[in-house]
Amino acid sequence: MHALADTAPAHGGRRAGVVAWLLLAPLALWLLLFVVVPMAGLVVYSFCQRDDLGRVVYDFSWENYARVFDPIYLKILGRSIGYAALTTVICIVIGYPVAWYIARQRSPLRERLLLLVMIPFWTSFLIRTYAWIAILKSEGLLNGLLQFSGVVTAPLSLLYTPTAVVIGLVYAYLPFMILPIYGSAEKLDNALVEAAHDLGAGPIRAFSHVIIPLTWPGIAAGIMLVFVPAIGMFAITDLMGGAQVPLIGNVIQNQFFRARNAPFGAALGVVFTLLFILTYALAHRRRRATTA
Amino acid sequence: MIPLPGSRVITLLLAVLGLALAPLRAANKEINLFAWSEYFPQSVLEGFSKETGIRINYETFASGEEMLAKMLAGGTAYDLVQPPDYIAEALIKNRLLVPLDYTKLPGVKNILPEYLNMAHDPEQRYTLPYMVSTVGIVVNTERVKEPITGLVDLFSPRYAGRIVVVDDARELVTAALYVLGYPLNEINAKNLAEARPLLAQWMKRIKLYDSDSPKTALLNGDVDLGYVWGGEAARLWAENPKFAYVIPKEGAHQFVDVMAIPQGAKNIEAAHRFLEYLLRPEVSKAISDEFPYTNPNGAARQLLTPEQRANPASYPPGDRKFGTFRHLGETGAMIDELITDLKNAR
Amino acid sequence: MRPPPLLPSFWDRWSGLRLLDAGLGIWTGLVFLFLYLPILVLVVYSFNDSRLNVVWEGFTLDWYGRLWDNTRIARALKNSLVVAGFTTVLSVVLGTVGAWLLHRYRYRFGSTLQTLIAVPMIMPEIVMGISLLILFTTAGLKLGFFTVIVAHTTFCFPFVLIAVQARLQGMDPALEEAALDLGATPVRAFFLVVVPYLRPAILSGALMAFTLSLDELIVTFFTASAQVATLPLLVFGMAKVGLNPMLNALSALFIVATVAFVLFSEHLRRLGRRAP
Repeated sequence: MHALADTAPAHGGRRAGVVAWLLLAPLALWLLLFVVVPMAGLVVYSFCQRDDLGRVVYDFSWENYARVFDPIYLKILGRSIGYAALTTVICIVIGYPVAWYIARQRSPLRERLLLLVMIPFWTSFLIRTYAWIAILKSEGLLNGLLQFSGVVTAPLSLLYTPTAVVIGLVYAYLPFMILPIYGSAEKLDNALVEAAHDLGAGPIRAFSHVIIPLTWPGIAAGIMLVFVPAIGMFAITDLMGGAQVPLIGNVIQNQFFRARNAPFGAALGVVFTLLFILTYALAHRRRRATTA
Repeated sequence: MIPLPGSRVITLLLAVLGLALAPLRAANKEINLFAWSEYFPQSVLEGFSKETGIRINYETFASGEEMLAKMLAGGTAYDLVQPPDYIAEALIKNRLLVPLDYTKLPGVKNILPEYLNMAHDPEQRYTLPYMVSTVGIVVNTERVKEPITGLVDLFSPRYAGRIVVVDDARELVTAALYVLGYPLNEINAKNLAEARPLLAQWMKRIKLYDSDSPKTALLNGDVDLGYVWGGEAARLWAENPKFAYVIPKEGAHQFVDVMAIPQGAKNIEAAHRFLEYLLRPEVSKAISDEFPYTNPNGAARQLLTPEQRANPASYPPGDRKFGTFRHLGETGAMIDELITDLKNAR
Repeated sequence: MRPPPLLPSFWDRWSGLRLLDAGLGIWTGLVFLFLYLPILVLVVYSFNDSRLNVVWEGFTLDWYGRLWDNTRIARALKNSLVVAGFTTVLSVVLGTVGAWLLHRYRYRFGSTLQTLIAVPMIMPEIVMGISLLILFTTAGLKLGFFTVIVAHTTFCFPFVLIAVQARLQGMDPALEEAALDLGATPVRAFFLVVVPYLRPAILSGALMAFTLSLDELIVTFFTASAQVATLPLLVFGMAKVGLNPMLNALSALFIVATVAFVLFSEHLRRLGRRAP
C-alpha cells in the first residue's frame, strides 16, 4: 500500500499564490463537478430506499450499510483485492525488463516500441477476450500445440479456471505497468549505473541498490495504475473464468442492474471508495512523515 | 394513464411543447427508438424511412435493466422502447407508458391470440409483442448419448463440469422452483430456503455462467450441455443440428419482448406508424430471417421457410404451455443475494 | 533528448552486460509475442467463413467486403476516434499541467486534491456512468459528444497525471531555474524546459488515455445518445447474436494499418523530408 502514495510528490516547492491557484482552477473545478458531486450523489443514494421499479426513494436509513459489512461482501472484496495484487506482482515481473529494454533504445525506435505495446488494446476487449478463448479452449491453439509437440496427451482444461482469469488480467493491465516504468527508466543516467560498477557492484547489486530505487517512482505509478483499476475489474474475469465466483465489481453492477437496488449498490460503492481513500491518505501521511 | 377523451389534446400539447423545446427536431419526422442491440435488421429500418421519410435514431441496450436505468434517469425523450415483459409490467404499474391507439394499428390482427392479453398487459393497452423466446436445455447429442428430458437430468452428477448456464440469478432460481414443483413467480423466503440446497448442489456442477453468448462454450466443445435462451439455441441448431433443444419436462417459461411508447414521447404519431409497419407480415418475416426467435405474428409465420419453422428452438414442437415472469418487487433482492452467497461459497 | 546510451568502453569493461542486454531483448520479444498472440488469432478469424465465428470453417474475404458497406460500423468507428481524440487532448492538458502545478507549488488541500484525482480510477464504472447521467440531465445538457468526452476525460486524465508525476519526481529543479535565470517567463520555461523533459511520460500517458477511452463501455452507454454510439457499444450488442467476423475484420484492418504506420513512419518521415 505504501506504493500508492509514492506516486504523489511530498508537497515541496513554494507556496501557491493567486496565479498558481488560477492555473489549477480548471482541474479543481473538474474534480469538483465530475468527481465530488457524483460522489456526493452516491452518498445520498446510499442512505435511501428504493421503490419496486428500482427508483430511489428519499427515506433515510442505515440499513444498506448494515448489509455491506455482511461477511459475504467482505469475502468478495478480499478475493477481488487478492486477484488485483497477484496481477500487479506478475505485471511488475514481466513488465519491468520490457520497460527497461525499451528505455535503453535510441529515440525513434523506443517511442515506436512503446506505441507497439499499446496498439493491441485499440480493439474492443470483447474481441480480444474471444481471441483468448480461441487460444485457451480445449480444442484451441495452445492445446493443439501442446498435443502436437507431445507435451500432453489429453487436452488441458485451461479455460474457465483461475489460471485463465490471471492470464486475462495480466494481459489487460501489462501495458499500464510498462508505460510508467518506461517513463522513469528513460531518464536514468547511465553514468550512475557505470559508477555503481566502478565502485565494485555486480549487476545484481547495481540493480537492487541503484536501478530499482531510481525507477521506483515509475514502479509505484505502475502499481497504482494496475492495482487500483484491477480491483473493480470483472468483465474479463467473468468471460475467462466462467463467472463462477463473484468479484466486487460484479456485485456492485448487479445491484444497479439485476437486483435494481441502487441504494445498496451505492453503499457498497461508498465503502469501497472510502476504503481506498483511507489507505491512500494513510500511506501518504506515512510517506510525508518519513521524508520530513 | 386512462384514455380520457382529452388525451389527444394532451398529446398535441406535448407535441407542441416538444417542438418548442427542440426546434431542430422536426415533429414526427424522427423517432428515438431505444431497443435491444441487434434486434432490427438494417433493411427494416431503412425500408421504413424510405417509405415514410421518418428517420429512426436506433439507440441500443444489452439488458432490460440497463434500459430501465437509462430511461428512468431521463437523458433522452424516447418515442419507442422495447422492454421485456416483466419490465413492461413494472412500467405499466408505475404509469410510465402511453396507451396505444389501436385505430392506427389494424395490423394487430396478425398477432396470434396466445400472445395477446398476457399477464404483463392483461388488457393489451400499452404494449405490442415483438419477439418471443423460451429458456431451455441445449444438448450436444454427439457427446451426450443419454436422453435429456428435464432439469433433473441436466444437473445430474454425471455432467459435472460440462454445463453452461445463463448468468442470471432469477433463471437459476426458477429452474429450482420448477423442479420443486412451485409456480415460477412464487418467490418467498420459504420457497427459496427449500431451493437453496438444490441450487448449491447444482452450482457445483456448472462449468461456467454466461448470459451474453452461452453458445460460444458449446460450439467450442468446452461444455456439452446448457441452460440457455431459446435464441441462442436456435442459432446453435442452425449452425449444427447436433445441438438439440429440449423444453424441460418440469416446466419452462418464455420471454416476450414488447414495443411500447413511454411517457414523455414526442412523436407518438410517428411511433404508431412504425409499430404498424412492424406488424406487416413481410416486415415481420424479414426480422425472423435475421433473428430466429419465436415470431408471435401469425401471418408472418406463414411466410417462413419450412427449415425456419422446423427449428425446434424457435418453434418448440408440441403444445406446451409456458409461464412468464412477473415483475418482482422487493423479493428480487432475495434472489440475487441467494445466488451471490452460493457462488461465493465456492 | 539524451545521446545514445551505453558507451563502448563501458561494454568492454562489463561484458556481462552484453549478455544481460541480449537476455532482455529476448524477454521483450517474448512479451511482444504474448501481446500480439490474440491479435494474430483475431486477424486469422477475420477470414473465417462462419457467421458465429467460433469454429474455423474455411477461408473467405467476404467480411472485408461487407465491412465496406456497413455504415453503422463506420459511423461507430468515427465516433470512437472523435471521442478518444478529444479525450486524449483534454486528459494530457489537465494531467500534465495538474501534475506540474502540484509538483511545483504547495497548495492548501493539496493532498486532498491528490486523493480526489485517484478516485475516478477506483469508482465503479456503473456508479460513475449513472451519476454523470443524472448530473447531465439535471443540468439540462443534451447527451452527445460533449457529455461522452467529459465523462471519458474524467477517468482518463488521472492516468496521465500519475504517469507525469512519476517522471517529475527527482527532476532537477536547476533545469527550470536555469531557464528562468536566462530571462524566460515561467510559461516559456514550462514549454521550453519542462515539457520536453516530460515528453516520455506525456506520451505514455496519452497512449493510456486514448486506449482507455477507445474501449470504455459502461460509462459510454450512460452518457451517449444514438448519434454518438461508439464501437464498444456496437460490439457488445453484437455479442448476443454472435460476434460477427466483420468486427474482426475491422479490428484487423485498424491494427494492421496502425502497426504498419508505426513501423514505416521513419521511412515516411524520410520521404517527407526529401520532398520539397
